[in-house]
Amino acid sequence: MPFDFASPAGRRAWRAQLLAPIDEAKWERLTRELFAWQFARMPAYRRICEAHSVTPKNLGSWREIPAGPQQLFKREKLFAHSSARPGAIYETSGTTTGEPGRQHLLFPDIYRDVSVEGARRAGLFQRHVQFHFLTPSPAEAPRSSLSAMFGFWPKAAKQSGNRFWIKRGKFDLPRLRGVLAEQVKKGQAVAICGTAYSFVHLLDAWADLPLALPPGSWLLETGGFKGRSREISQIELYAELSRTFAVGRDAIWNEYGMTELSSQAYARGVGGRHQTPPWARVLICDPVSGKEVPPDRRGIVRWIDLANVDSVLAVQTLDLAERKADGFRLLGRMARTEPRGCSLGIEDLLSVK
Amino acid sequence: MTTRQRLNLLSRAYPRLFPRRELLRLLEEQLGQVDALDKWFRRPGSLTWSQVRAPGLVYHICAGNLAVSAQMSLGHGLLLGAMNVLKLPGDRDDLSTRREILDFIRGLPAPLRKLVKTERELDPALLRRAEVVIAFGSDATMASLRAQTVPAQKFIAHGHALSLLWLAEPERFGSKEARACAVDVLTYDQLGCLSPQAIYAPPGARISEIGGKLARALETAWRKMKRKPARPITVAARITEARDVAHGLGHRVWLPPTKHLGWTVIHDPKSAFRPSALHGIIYLRQASPAGLKRALASVAGKISTVGVAGKMNAASEKTFLDLGVTRFCAAGKMQFPPLTWHHDGRPVLAELVTWIDRET
Repeated sequence: MPFDFASPAGRRAWRAQLLAPIDEAKWERLTRELFAWQFARMPAYRRICEAHSVTPKNLGSWREIPAGPQQLFKREKLFAHSSARPGAIYETSGTTTGEPGRQHLLFPDIYRDVSVEGARRAGLFQRHVQFHFLTPSPAEAPRSSLSAMFGFWPKAAKQSGNRFWIKRGKFDLPRLRGVLAEQVKKGQAVAICGTAYSFVHLLDAWADLPLALPPGSWLLETGGFKGRSREISQIELYAELSRTFAVGRDAIWNEYGMTELSSQAYARGVGGRHQTPPWARVLICDPVSGKEVPPDRRGIVRWIDLANVDSVLAVQTLDLAERKADGFRLLGRMARTEPRGCSLGIEDLLSVK
Repeated sequence: MTTRQRLNLLSRAYPRLFPRRELLRLLEEQLGQVDALDKWFRRPGSLTWSQVRAPGLVYHICAGNLAVSAQMSLGHGLLLGAMNVLKLPGDRDDLSTRREILDFIRGLPAPLRKLVKTERELDPALLRRAEVVIAFGSDATMASLRAQTVPAQKFIAHGHALSLLWLAEPERFGSKEARACAVDVLTYDQLGCLSPQAIYAPPGARISEIGGKLARALETAWRKMKRKPARPITVAARITEARDVAHGLGHRVWLPPTKHLGWTVIHDPKSAFRPSALHGIIYLRQASPAGLKRALASVAGKISTVGVAGKMNAASEKTFLDLGVTRFCAAGKMQFPPLTWHHDGRPVLAELVTWIDRET
C-alpha cells in the first residue's frame, strides 16, 4: 500500500522505514515510491521530468530520477501538498542573489528526526558536550533551517544549557567568552557550531585570545562564506580554529546541507570525505550527460534525499565535488557569481535595485 | 615614435581589431588631427593653437572573462604612446582570458611591446603613479579601486553593463534577422557588456515563430563556429540549470537538435528583465514601449547597447534613451562597434589626454 505522506501516521511509517536498515532493494523501492508521489503532485517537477523523458512508468533506475535545480526553489513553490498549509517554511539567506529559496514542509517532523539521527549516526553526539550555536535561535529566526536543526540537537542529545549567541542580529561574543571560560575551568567539553563566516568573525575577535577547550570538545562549521566577512580557505580556517581552541583538526566537522533538503552530509578535518546517512545519497554528476562520473572525477552534486518528502527528493546543486570510493570530497560551493568582467550578472543586479 | 608610426605598427599587427582607416578617423574625430600628439595645430575657426599630451602611464585593470576589452584598452594607450601597465586577470578568473591578453601583447611589434608591462597582482604604488586608470569590473571593484586613486588621476570605470536586442518590426523577422541576432548572441559566448542577454519584442509578436527561426539560425551559426567556446563543468552546470529552471517554470524552451550546450532559447512570458546565465542562453520577452520602462527598470543606467532588428520608432527609442542606453546599432553588429564608438558614452581617446592651448 502506498504511503500517505499527508497524514501523521503515514509520515511516521515513512520515517520508520528511513531509520531502519536500508538495503539496495529497499532503497530502489522507496525512491520509486516517493518519486511517483512527487511527480503526480508537483507540476513544476513533473515538467522537468517530462523534459528529460522520465516518468515513474519508464524509470529505469533511481539514478535516472531527474533533479529539481536548487535555483527553482527561488522561483516556484515546490510543495507536494498544494491545498494544505505548510507547517514550516524555511528560507535560504538570499545573500548572493537577493531572492531567497523556500522549502515548504507540511510538518517539520521528518526534518527534525533525520537531522538529529543523521548527526547522531555521523558521531556528533557520542560524548556529553555543552552546545554553543553561533546562529540566532529558532524563535528568533523561524525561517532558518539551520537554526531549526541546531534547536533540535540539544534536546535529542539530552543536553541542557545550550545557547544561541546571535541575538537581535548581534553576536554576543563577550558573554560567549565568559560562559566558555567557565566551562573550560570545569573541564566541561563543548561543541561550538556555526557558519564558516561566523567562525571567521569569532577568530577575528579572538585572534590574540586563545582558549584551549577541554578534551572531547568539537567544532562544526557549515555553509561557506557567500561573500560575507573575509573569505579564507578551509585549510586556513581549520588551522586558525585548531590554534585558537587547541582542538585537533579531526575535531572540526563540516556539515554539508541546504535549506532545500532535509538531510545532511558530514565530514571531519581538512578535505575530509563527506558521508550521507543511509536515507540520502549523493551522486557526483557530469552536467553534460547528467550521469554519475567515475570515481576520482569531478562533477556537480546531486542529492537524492528520501526525507525530502514535501518538496523534491532529487535536488541538483551547483556545488563541485570529487567522487570517492568512501563518499565525496566537496571542492566548493559554487556561489552564484556570474562571469566577472564587464557583463552584468545577478549579483550586480542586486546592487542596482 | 610619431603617432602615425605607432598607428601603422598597430594596424599592421592587428588589422581586424585596429583597421588603419578607422584609427585615422578615431584620431581625427577625437583629437582634431591625426598628428595632434606630435605638433601644434590650429583648431578650425579659432585663433588658438593646440597640442595634445598623452598620459605618461596608463594602468589598465583587465576584465577576467573577456580579452577583447583589455586589447582595445591597451590599443588606445599604445596609439597615444603612453606606457601601459596591465593588471591581468587573477587565478580565479578564466585563465584563457589571461592567455589571450598575453598572446596579444606577444604579437605586438617590438617598439610597441616596449610600452607594455603586465602584472599578476595589483601594484598600489604603480597604480597611484598612473595618470590614467582604466578599469573593468563590478561596482564593488570600481569602488575599491577608486579609493586607491588620488584626485589628480583620471579614473575611467567601465562597470558591469548588459545589452539587449529589440525586434522593432517582429512581423518582418525573417531568417536574415535571425542570423544577425544569432551572431550577437554567440560572439564572445555572451560574456561581454555588448552581448545581448535578452531579446524584447512588442506585444503581438509571434514568439513561437520567432523562437523557431532564431533556434535554426543559432544552430547554423554554432555549427559554423571554428573555435567553439569551452563548456567546463561550472559553465555546463549553469546552462543545464537554466534549462531545467525554464522547464520547471513551464517556459517554452528551444534546444539544439542534439541538446548540446552551445545555445538555448527560452521564452519568458514575464517581461521583467532577469539576467541570463550567458553562454548562449537568450531569453525572448515581450513588452510595449511603455512596458519596457517597467520591465527594464531594474537595469536602468546599466544598459550599454540595444541591437535593433527592423526600424525602431520614436517611442521605443525614447524609452531606451530614458533608460540610459548609450548605443544603438543594427542587429548583428552589437559586438563590433566602430573604433570611434563612445564606450559607455565616453570618447575613448579624448578622455585619456590633456590639451595644451597656445593663444595668439
